[in-house]
Amino acid sequence: MKFVNALPIGSIEAMRPVFMIVMGVFLMIIAWRLCKFSEGWTARLIVAGSLLLGFGYALMIPLYEAGIITRYSPSGGHLGSGASALAWHVVTLVVMNGGWLLFGLGLAMHAKVFSPSSSPRKLAPSRINPPREFTT
Amino acid sequence: MLDALGVIGLGLLGLSAVTLARRYQSWGGTMMAIGAICLLLGRLYFILAPHFLNEDVLVAVGPIGIALTMALPPLLLTFGLAGIVWGLWGHERWVQEETR
Repeated sequence: MKFVNALPIGSIEAMRPVFMIVMGVFLMIIAWRLCKFSEGWTARLIVAGSLLLGFGYALMIPLYEAGIITRYSPSGGHLGSGASALAWHVVTLVVMNGGWLLFGLGLAMHAKVFSPSSSPRKLAPSRINPPREFTT
Repeated sequence: MLDALGVIGLGLLGLSAVTLARRYQSWGGTMMAIGAICLLLGRLYFILAPHFLNEDVLVAVGPIGIALTMALPPLLLTFGLAGIVWGLWGHERWVQEETR
């Protein structure tokens, strides 16, 4: 193949990583905008999760796809050093899963999934009753 | 272990998205819920695939099925992320309009 050594930006194989980069950056920006004026653990969780996810999606997945980080396989057989591959694998696992966990927790707290719905009036669909943390 | 944490987080995300969509009738919540479900499906497939995917299953599903197993999970992951980001954007705009 002639194009193996070329940096494949703009090709079909590069479309998914580029899409991931754009999505990760947008995720960070939107989460920051959502939580700009708000305080408390909800905003912190959302922002922390989105930062982790943005790091993972915008940096690590493209590096994996570009082959700069070699994929870890338990049977061995990867090029490069196995230790660094394992370390990157662990970092990826932590960043992705931790990011989704933090983001989901923050969004769940924002949507008040955990708060007891003792009074049914709170759960009634009303526009007068916006999420508490996001009122300035 | 960590995979379980990620799946729990995605489940929470989908749950909260559904809650948001039901409570405020915002299309952002619906979009986010669809994205979360897509992402959850793809993620579960990637976690579970090594346990049941062997030669017999591949032979059973045929060439179209094999093509689907190769093409569908990345598509699910990609469009799930897109749905979540899109829905979050819609919800963010909605929140801004509410607080203005």
